[in-house]
Amino acid sequence: MSQFIIGIDLGTTNSALAYTATHAGDHPEVTLFRVPQLVNAGEVSELDLLPSSLYVPGPKEFVDGALALPWNDRPAYITGLFAWKRGVENASRLVNSAKSWLSNQSADPTQPLLPLTAPEGVQKISPLDASTQYLQHLRAAWDQAHPDATFKEQSVLITVPASFDAAARELTQRAARQAGYPEAIVIEEPQAAFYAWIARNPNWREQVKPGDLILVVDIGGGTTDFTLIAVTESGGELRLERVAVGEHLLLGGDNMDLAVARYAEQQFAQKGTKLDAIQFHSLWQQCRTAKELLLSNETSAPKEQPLTILGRGTGLVGGTVRGKITGKEIRNLLIDGFFPSVDPDAAPQRPRRAALMEVGLDYAADPAVTKHLAQFLRQAAANAGAEGFARPTHLLLNGGVLQASAIEQRIFEILNGWVQKAGTSPVVALQNESKQTDLMHAVAQGAAYYGLARAGKGVRIRGGVPRSYYVGIETSLPSVPGLPAPMKALTVVPFGLEEGSKVELPQRKFALVVGEPAEFRFFSSLLRKNDAPGSLIEEIGEDLEELSPIEVFLPPHTDGTREEVVPVTLESNVTETGMLELWCVSADGRRWKLEYNVRERAVAA
Amino acid sequence: MSRIAAAFRSFFSILFSGALPEDIALKFGFTKARPAPVAVAVEKPKLNMSDGALQMLHILQRDSRLIDFLMEDITSYADDQIGAAVRSLHADCRASLNRHLGLVPVIDGVEGTYQKLDGSKAPDPNRIKLIGNIPASGKVPGGTLRHRGWAVSSVNLPPIGKQDPAILAPAELEVE
Repeated sequence: MSQFIIGIDLGTTNSALAYTATHAGDHPEVTLFRVPQLVNAGEVSELDLLPSSLYVPGPKEFVDGALALPWNDRPAYITGLFAWKRGVENASRLVNSAKSWLSNQSADPTQPLLPLTAPEGVQKISPLDASTQYLQHLRAAWDQAHPDATFKEQSVLITVPASFDAAARELTQRAARQAGYPEAIVIEEPQAAFYAWIARNPNWREQVKPGDLILVVDIGGGTTDFTLIAVTESGGELRLERVAVGEHLLLGGDNMDLAVARYAEQQFAQKGTKLDAIQFHSLWQQCRTAKELLLSNETSAPKEQPLTILGRGTGLVGGTVRGKITGKEIRNLLIDGFFPSVDPDAAPQRPRRAALMEVGLDYAADPAVTKHLAQFLRQAAANAGAEGFARPTHLLLNGGVLQASAIEQRIFEILNGWVQKAGTSPVVALQNESKQTDLMHAVAQGAAYYGLARAGKGVRIRGGVPRSYYVGIETSLPSVPGLPAPMKALTVVPFGLEEGSKVELPQRKFALVVGEPAEFRFFSSLLRKNDAPGSLIEEIGEDLEELSPIEVFLPPHTDGTREEVVPVTLESNVTETGMLELWCVSADGRRWKLEYNVRERAVAA
Repeated sequence: MSRIAAAFRSFFSILFSGALPEDIALKFGFTKARPAPVAVAVEKPKLNMSDGALQMLHILQRDSRLIDFLMEDITSYADDQIGAAVRSLHADCRASLNRHLGLVPVIDGVEGTYQKLDGSKAPDPNRIKLIGNIPASGKVPGGTLRHRGWAVSSVNLPPIGKQDPAILAPAELEVE
């Protein structure tokens, strides 16, 4: 039995670790672990967050021993704050946003791709291995601090975006295994944020009632995630059910801060000051602070903030250039740019070209979060067989960017505008007490709380798999030259399949050739909620998204039997740790697991 | 003498008079101006210095560019130009100080108000400097607090390792 339950938020820009004692009392306390990391060359310090940045140091780049960590004298990589700081000075050795690559459809995340712009001769690292490094850093730091309760013996939970598909979740698990983790449980980030709210509000049952619908909007550094949780009742007990999650949206707080910094940079450029990378970075930091002050909604909030670019070189005062940014400008950029007032029937723009920032990542084409939200609520209603859009009764917001109160206020205004027009009462805010820190740490803390809930010490959100999954089946129609054979989709995983349950599909048999890899085309849908397992979709339309194929290999026999073709049926199950698995099962009970083939992604996309 | 006091006396002694106090130098195994027997001129000069003090300067320069500021001739700049630069420097410098040193007042009182002392003995000159009309005995029952003083309650400096303490900031070369 583990001593602690550890929740890990493996974020796009920051990671965090929170923990609680397994044998906590009625009011379990979840503690944030302060992560020792390099903050300067030769200086290790403890911080609440581990920036998810990795730097590949050159052979003679630092003084001997300057990169030593308490648990490793000569780490191959720098992870954490110093990686990020040094990366400002030399971006070509910096790895950022590794997590976004795990769910990327255009490149294989197990290949050494990063840093993208690394010069020849720099050893690149795969997004999978970079994620492993962050997880490994957290494990080593924990072991250093808890020699009597090593990480491997604890119960560990890792958060992923709700919008991560099965392959991206599997890759997260794989990174954890590589980092020497025990079998980790995967939990969705918006759910974790909601668990954090429950943990801090012991009287939460008084704040919601059966029939309520809670919308969780989690704006992380790199992703934005929507989730709907329905409150129901069973045997006099409140139950929570996650009923919908949004599409993968590569758009987060970092994009917003960057937008402000780019604007300010232009203002300096118009005055004839061209900033170098280090000055721009300083500007970025100043803009972030200015944003929080100017959008604080306090009556005492200043109208504008100075921006100061210090001279480079030893002349400090002489080279200093001053500028400013006003609250009005930031409002225009952020509130109107990312959270415009739109109608509930607004749709985000589709083309995926406009907002490219880095080669290879599918950044959301339309930065208007509110349009994505409107679309999400409409889809949720359609899935439930209702007209219009799903109308939440409560709203929980999470993410560092919401420290700017005006953004929070804008989301409420828009949502309330929608529900009131539709004749429902205004949306109630689910508030946490100490807002400043919670927005950054709630996910890790909520994950630890979920660990307690699994051990029977709290309420659990039910929900299962947030998508349905299909394999492609070629129709037996005669093929037409030049046209691919028409495809149908067989439902192999119904929406909401719960942990620990399985689905057998005996209706359809496949003939697998021994000794040859067999591949299935693989699809998923966030929209089709009512397909029963085994049901066949005649036409593969817009509502199915093609994923990387899944494959299986039946090894040749060694005992001399000359079996060449094995008839199998499919079976799917969700493990207790939340992982989706697909199996081929033969009539005599032999089983082979289907693997997600991330290498084929480029072809599939 | 405590390590903190030694570090600080060294720091300010080097900063203002360019040399270590003699007693500290002796304690740490240095002798002042050792008469060089024969010419060892080519050898890298051994630095008579307290590494901790230089490390603090290194940190203040790295985090806030304090040395750049102090060494710059600012006579020709307008006050608001200096003000803009100093505002940012001040915040960074202060953050560094607070990160590495615990700074507390010697007397935690309100400046300008009367402060009682133990009148039976003269105050510790390390901690309290009497100014004004000081009686011959040096014993005073109290006085008006003019400056609260500063004391260091904790020092938290990373190990220097193989870093060259004499380099307060490396030269920076940008590769095109």
